[in-house]
Amino acid sequence: MTGFIKEFAKGIIISNPVFILALGLCPTLAMSDKLENALGMSAAVLFVLLCSNIVVSSIRKYVPAIMRIPVFIVVIATFVTIVNLVFQAYLPSLYESLGIYLPLVVVNCIILGRAEAFASKNPVTASIADALGIGIGFALAITIIALIREILGTGSLTLGDNTLFTLPVLGEHPITILSLSAGAFLVIGLLLAFFRRIGVAKNE
Amino acid sequence: MSNLITIFITMALLNNFILVKFLGLCPFFGVSKKLSNAVSMGAAVTFVMVIASIATWIITQYILIPFNVVYMSTVIFILVIASLVQIIEMFIMRTNYALYSAFGIYLALITTNCAVLGITLWNITEEYNLLQSIFAALGGGVGFTLVLAIMSGIRERLELSDSPKSMKGLPIAFLVAMLLGLAFSGFGGII
Amino acid sequence: MPEFLRKLSPLAFLTLVVLVAVTLLVVTESFTGPVVEKRLQQQIIDQMEGMFPNVSDWEFEDDLYTLYTNSEKIGYAFLATGAGYHGEISILVGLEDAETVKGVVILSQTETPGVGSRITEPDFLNQFIGVSIDDIALSQDGGLIDGLTGATISSRAVVDAVKQTAMDKVAQIEGTE
Repeated sequence: MTGFIKEFAKGIIISNPVFILALGLCPTLAMSDKLENALGMSAAVLFVLLCSNIVVSSIRKYVPAIMRIPVFIVVIATFVTIVNLVFQAYLPSLYESLGIYLPLVVVNCIILGRAEAFASKNPVTASIADALGIGIGFALAITIIALIREILGTGSLTLGDNTLFTLPVLGEHPITILSLSAGAFLVIGLLLAFFRRIGVAKNE
Repeated sequence: MSNLITIFITMALLNNFILVKFLGLCPFFGVSKKLSNAVSMGAAVTFVMVIASIATWIITQYILIPFNVVYMSTVIFILVIASLVQIIEMFIMRTNYALYSAFGIYLALITTNCAVLGITLWNITEEYNLLQSIFAALGGGVGFTLVLAIMSGIRERLELSDSPKSMKGLPIAFLVAMLLGLAFSGFGGII
Repeated sequence: MPEFLRKLSPLAFLTLVVLVAVTLLVVTESFTGPVVEKRLQQQIIDQMEGMFPNVSDWEFEDDLYTLYTNSEKIGYAFLATGAGYHGEISILVGLEDAETVKGVVILSQTETPGVGSRITEPDFLNQFIGVSIDDIALSQDGGLIDGLTGATISSRAVVDAVKQTAMDKVAQIEGTE
């Protein structure tokens, strides 16, 4: 059990995929503009990560060596498509928001990376712990960035059609650059530097 | 014809793959300081983007749409891209071994480059015809190469500069990307 | 079972994986597809009822809705698709009779926000109300519809789609009468 917890905790802080390993940046930066998108993307990534880790780990002893990457990719692509179909049917506005970034989860280095580096070499239970840890680590990272970008960048926080709150001063004069594409780079760069400064991450 | 040029310019500058669409970031942040390597990488990615766009367009038009299975596009496209990269890799290995060793693992990594899968999916979303898809892929690839080249030059300066310890490496690269992104948004006036 | 898997050639293994994957996807789609279809249908019906408030029932044949209020025919409706600047524009067109437009509603579009996306605004769409099919064209092309400034492609896509499909549907209506 402690092994499970250890693998799980690793993904959240020490090996946080976004802030430490700098993986899976594409969807992170693109979908970090609003809380809703961040949560949607996190759910998708967590689901795909979990399913693909389980499947890859289960078939790891039978996959011929040269076919590993193609097989992993097909497995991941299948789960991504399932999420795509389900979102399209039951969460249409989220599906519209995520756009092409949802199918792009298939080439998200995080998922393929975990399949290759961990799931293909470890038993299923450990792979589940790994997936959960990394998935939640990703969710934390993208949500933090989204909260910063949405609250400071638009002055308010929305979830679906509801505005949760609007800040007094920022509501009228938000730091708009944060909502722009360039703002994503700014936030993640500063956050990364901050984490290094306080010792959570290592300097280069 | 002007429509094709507009598509090219939009994909290269206004909708720049790295700075605006956030696609192809891995090679961007890992780009070498040598300009020639950056340009070769960009050229290779552009080449794959164009060929992949053509192949996936044909598959979409003649297989996916008639059989009503457009939702299979993610799986099919990534398989096509993986095979294409494999073929190109073998071809380069046989014809120009020096180039092959220079690329190293980065050639195989083009498969997971969001920019390649990204352009093939984008072509479907925008419902481009074959010619438009090719121009979009060319524009996207050229824009990608451009930013890669600029970054490789800046990388060199960054190494020599005196950044705070926590900022060294990735963080400062992100901030540079932000500045580049802001600069590129000035291109919005062209169209 | 495991022995069988081990003996497969690499290519056969990949093919097997792909087959399993495709099957899984087809099964999933059989569940989600109808949900998406139903939502689209509901959207069309909602818009149709908005356009023809008195409608009580309708017939649907050959992609054409014939609408009735208590057995009295009050009009027709059909879908049209235009090739916009940024992909497909999905349109619902209502006809009062075989000649006059009752209304035009944009069901979905992905045009440039603030520019082409303004084709969904009442100012643009209301121009179609009561217009004879023959007069549907942009004013710069001799018709009665003013295009949106800066969004000629999007405007023209809607106009062309409405006109072309309307003419086809009228032929269809007159062919069955």
